[in-house]
Amino acid sequence: MSKLDQLSFVSRKIFAGKLRGERLSKRRGESVEFADYRNYVVGDDLRFLDWNIYARLEKLFLKLFLQEEDLHVNLLIDVSKSMDWGTPNKALYARRIAAAVAYIGLINFDRVSIFAYANGLQHELPGVRGRRMMFKVIEFLTRMEYDSVGDLPKATKQFAVRHPQTGILIVISDFFDKSGYEDGLRYLLSRPYDCYAMHVLSPDEIEPELAGDLRLTDIEDDDSAEVTVSRALINRYKHNLQAYCTQLKEFCTRRGINYLFTSTEVPFDQILLSYFRNRGLVK
Amino acid sequence: MNFLSPGAIAIAAGLTVPPLVALYFLKLKRESKPISSTLLWRKAVEDLRVNAPFQRLRGSLLLLLQLIILALGALALGMPMFQTVETHDDTQILLVDQSASMNVIEAGGRTRLEIAKEQAKRTIDNMGEGARAMVIAFCDRATVVSSFDTDKDALKKNIDSIEPTQSTSNLGEAMSLAEAYMQNMIIGRQGEPDVEIRSNAPPAAVTLFTDGRIQDADHVALEKFNLDKIHVVTIGTRADNVGIVAMAARRHYERPQFLEVTASVRNFGPKPVKLDAALYVENNLVDIQTLELAAGPAPDGDKKSSVGEAPAVPTAPDGSEMVVAFDDIEFEGQGLVEVVLRVDDALSADDRAWTIVPDPSRTRVLIVSDNAPFFQPFQEALKESPVDIVRMKPAEYEDAPDEDIADGARSLFDVVILDRHDTARLPQGNYMFWGCVPLVDGVSVDGTVDDELIFNWDETHPILRHVSVESLNVFKWLRLKLPKEAVSLIDGATSPVMAYWAHGASQYLIIAFSLITEDHGSYSLNTYWVANPDFVVFMNNAVEYLASAIATTGKKSITPGAPVSLPLPAGTKRATVIRPDSTQDKGLPAANQMLHYGRTRLVGEYRVEPGVPGNDAFTVNLFNSQESYVRPSAQVTLGSQIVKTEAGSVLVNEPAWPYFLLGLLAVLLLEWIIYNRRIFV
Repeated sequence: MSKLDQLSFVSRKIFAGKLRGERLSKRRGESVEFADYRNYVVGDDLRFLDWNIYARLEKLFLKLFLQEEDLHVNLLIDVSKSMDWGTPNKALYARRIAAAVAYIGLINFDRVSIFAYANGLQHELPGVRGRRMMFKVIEFLTRMEYDSVGDLPKATKQFAVRHPQTGILIVISDFFDKSGYEDGLRYLLSRPYDCYAMHVLSPDEIEPELAGDLRLTDIEDDDSAEVTVSRALINRYKHNLQAYCTQLKEFCTRRGINYLFTSTEVPFDQILLSYFRNRGLVK
Repeated sequence: MNFLSPGAIAIAAGLTVPPLVALYFLKLKRESKPISSTLLWRKAVEDLRVNAPFQRLRGSLLLLLQLIILALGALALGMPMFQTVETHDDTQILLVDQSASMNVIEAGGRTRLEIAKEQAKRTIDNMGEGARAMVIAFCDRATVVSSFDTDKDALKKNIDSIEPTQSTSNLGEAMSLAEAYMQNMIIGRQGEPDVEIRSNAPPAAVTLFTDGRIQDADHVALEKFNLDKIHVVTIGTRADNVGIVAMAARRHYERPQFLEVTASVRNFGPKPVKLDAALYVENNLVDIQTLELAAGPAPDGDKKSSVGEAPAVPTAPDGSEMVVAFDDIEFEGQGLVEVVLRVDDALSADDRAWTIVPDPSRTRVLIVSDNAPFFQPFQEALKESPVDIVRMKPAEYEDAPDEDIADGARSLFDVVILDRHDTARLPQGNYMFWGCVPLVDGVSVDGTVDDELIFNWDETHPILRHVSVESLNVFKWLRLKLPKEAVSLIDGATSPVMAYWAHGASQYLIIAFSLITEDHGSYSLNTYWVANPDFVVFMNNAVEYLASAIATTGKKSITPGAPVSLPLPAGTKRATVIRPDSTQDKGLPAANQMLHYGRTRLVGEYRVEPGVPGNDAFTVNLFNSQESYVRPSAQVTLGSQIVKTEAGSVLVNEPAWPYFLLGLLAVLLLEWIIYNRRIFV
């Protein structure tokens, strides 16, 4: 926690918040950060005239300053059944990431909202601000249930419609959606979110250790696949997984969505302290 | 490659392959494994199904390997063989020669008998499933080692039990045994008391394991056998052998304390030999002589004898046979005389010969005769012989106390000569009857003969040796009726004039005529022979022959396997025979104060305890050129037929099942690896 105290979010896109947070907004305001000039018109505050320019150009220009605004941090957490799987468990990992991210936002007086989705938005914790609201975050994350089939497009569509506010949007999911992830992520692009897609997989999914003649059962939709595990099959699965991740990354990258891939084996603090930092999400 | 049990392959395959294939085509029971999503797994399976060649086979690789395992196992059960000999019938008879010549030590240190037993066991191994075999070992007698049996292990164990002997070979008895066992006998049927003998023997293949030195090969009857199914496996290659073929030990006629020992030594091998012949008396080395013998018969010297005769040993080339004589050997008393050839040759049984020289004691002769005229001719004839003569008149003989004429059941006298006195008082002994007969069953007199001539006699008999029977003329003689066992030595036209009969422990020499006849007090010669020197020779021969304890020559040697009868002291119930190998046969029962013993297949000296001094030992010697000529016969003739002969070893079926099992284990290991490591081709 003490490490997280030092972090704060950095959004690639400067957004206007409803309250003045600790973030400079591009909106022209009255902060000390010079932003731009404009011509003087009668009635402007003479204190913001730039006399140096008048001396050079004998024209009156008014200084403009950046407005400090609050940042919306939205966490969209996949609570489909497939997330409650793996060793270490993906759901637990996602909760930890979400809690850490929420904490960073809260201590920086950013507005943090958490949305749990599976077959659409299931639960939400609307914007909370301040360190003291951390308990609500923890309580919300703890009470999340993983008992539905995932439907990313439906969830993101709902989110985009109901919560058009801008800000940072972090989607934490395994993206194992049989209806595809493309439409779901496109909905997020309809809003100017600073969007991050965090792809979380467990080691069991990355390096499966299966053998023999098995009936693989999908825990979400009870779909089954009868396989005779062989080295060729394992290799083909890994190849497909790699391709899937690559395609997802390319899709995200092309559309300005920052793609982060992690395994639940990676310590979550490493995700925040180095992973997020390297990608410019926090500083 | 052949399979001795092809049926087993079909059975094993039929029982295992269909269930295995069925299991694979039945839906496999799969373990259910929950995963987060089948999204990528389905795609992977579809990719493999589309891209992998032989996708059906890929899934069935384990099935293929298991089918291979089953196939290897089934083939192994079929008893595969890399090579098989010519197929034999289901019924086989194996005849194993265990005669003296089979003791030859061949290259490798094994005797011919050991090689023969190994070949016989190979033949057993080559038998097909369900085949049966019988094993007969033969030397001078034939023994059924194993009756028909299908158990190969039992047959081979019985073959191992065949012991070497130093006897001659008698194949005829073995073939007769085989023929007898081939016949099936049905003993009666319900309600029928008769025994029905049915001969429906299956055709049997006969294999003879021998070196070819079979004495009676020409007399073997083959009518009951299919000649095409008789097969001879000749054993052995060595031909070098020097052997003693005859031996005699004689006391000097005038100086009985000195011995004269002679031995006939012959080289049967292809190369000249120089060797030493040593003489031992009572195990003490007395003399050594060096012999140089020329080479024996050439390799192609095997000549077929005339039809009806045993295969002849080739005539000894000049210089290959010599008589070694040891003269003036001073030795008194009874003792063992042994001649030893110091030579390293193929057969050791004929390198030593033994004989027993008895005490130079005098022969005790009792003459039961009436008046002097009758008694005198005998006395005169024997006066130069080392005999002590006691005379009794017939009445004295009949009335004499038992102890005066017998020791228990045995006569006190070496020979009893009865002159015209029929008697039933005949303790065990040796008797010469002149003009009279023993009063025993089987012997009777049916009148006299006075109008016949003597026209036939056996001049080879020891009693008639050097006797000119043609000079014998007899006026009349008794018409004898004798048992069929009696041997006629001199024949008249209708009845024997002189006969020899070995009856139990006694010997009877029955002369049908007396020397002198009496008619109302007047005496006349019945034959002029009494005045002929031949009579003296005859009397000495007869006394010497009947006495058995031959005073001037060593005891007669018997051939291996021949039975012997020895007198025992009075009251002896059981006796012990000490054999040449120092083993003892104890507790042998006595019968009428005699010991009858037949385990004489070993050459050497045998002693009896307790025994009668002078008759308590005997020797067994090979003295058989047929056995000493150890060169294996390239051609064997049985009866009048030349049979197939195969030299060398019986081809053995080399089993291939170990290799099939090894292959099975290897494929099993591969299958295990594939199953566990998921390695697919």
